[in-house]
Amino acid sequence: MRSAQSGDARAYSLLLAELLPMLRRVVGHKWKNANTVEDIVQEILLSVHAVRHTYDSSRPFMPWLMTIANRRIADAARYHAGRAAHETTVDVMPETFSGDQPKSTQDLNETHDLLRQALSILPESQREAIELMKLKELTLAETAKVTGKSIASLKVSVHRAIKAMRAHLERK
Amino acid sequence: MIMDTEALLRSLTGDLRPVRRLAPPVRRAMGWFAASLAFALYVAHVVGLRHDLPVLFTDGRFIIEFAAMLLTGLMAAAAAFCAGCPGRPLWERFAPLPFAGLWIASVVFGCWQDLMRSGAAGLAVTPDPICLPTILALSTIPGAAILVMIRRGAPLAPLSTTALAALAALALGAAAMRLTHDGDANVMVLVWQVGSVAVLICAAMLFGRRLLHWPERHA
Repeated sequence: MRSAQSGDARAYSLLLAELLPMLRRVVGHKWKNANTVEDIVQEILLSVHAVRHTYDSSRPFMPWLMTIANRRIADAARYHAGRAAHETTVDVMPETFSGDQPKSTQDLNETHDLLRQALSILPESQREAIELMKLKELTLAETAKVTGKSIASLKVSVHRAIKAMRAHLERK
Repeated sequence: MIMDTEALLRSLTGDLRPVRRLAPPVRRAMGWFAASLAFALYVAHVVGLRHDLPVLFTDGRFIIEFAAMLLTGLMAAAAAFCAGCPGRPLWERFAPLPFAGLWIASVVFGCWQDLMRSGAAGLAVTPDPICLPTILALSTIPGAAILVMIRRGAPLAPLSTTALAALAALALGAAAMRLTHDGDANVMVLVWQVGSVAVLICAAMLFGRRLLHWPERHA
């Protein structure tokens, strides 16, 4: 590690390669999942790398390393415990909800007929307002220009038309 | 798993640069303490030393209290730096506690002396809202300096390291305040000065995990 602190990449590479099996064994004592073990080992290696300047060559190396390893293992345990507390395990994730089935062509035709009937009961001015604003999707200003009516009057017409159509559809 | 471990090893060793070794914690603590004490004494001089200072330094209890505050600051700084060095014994983190205990005990003893001298009136607590901001102001520069220094260490124990660093800076700030702030009622010192230090340490601990954390993983 002293050589690694001085920038000796070869010595550092040898050291980390030697440490790797030992770290896997240490982490493997506490975690059974191979992917998790490898994740934690990588975290330990990254931590060792990040704080390699804190190693004091007058002190033994292993306590230095194991303090970092144990801290990172404890961090991983806390992280996994926190995640498990907010997760729910399900066997099969439903792809769609039962209420969201697409409508059949026949259903769509029936809906169209009902809407057409509801439109037909409206007075001419209200029907025109609905057709322009809700079916052709014109803005209030554009509809006002086409029909020659004021915006306020159009708002009232649309409101009354929708109320009448809703009442008609509920009766059906 | 973000990447293969062997690939990680290659990336760690590939662009290895020499690093500046961290100096021993005691040496760092001495350096911080000397600079911070000079700053605190300078600020105390600028603000104005209290007039009864020569008399105060003939009082054995005050000398013990003042020395305990300074030693608490020094030992807390050393303990904070030790906490950032992996592999060091755990007892080092408790090193400032005897001195902090001596500091509080000397103030409590002063309260007892006041009680014997003046009766219940010697223990009257009145509002002194200047204490907390003054200690905070006197501790800000030493606190910022020690924060920068502890961030060079390993974030092994963020909460206790932050608490120790805050204790170091605040004990020094409180000592400087004793040189400038008039009023000798020890119960006031206990409630407003020691109390302010305790509150500010708790506040600093709230930021411990944000201030000291392992580097984020990007690769």
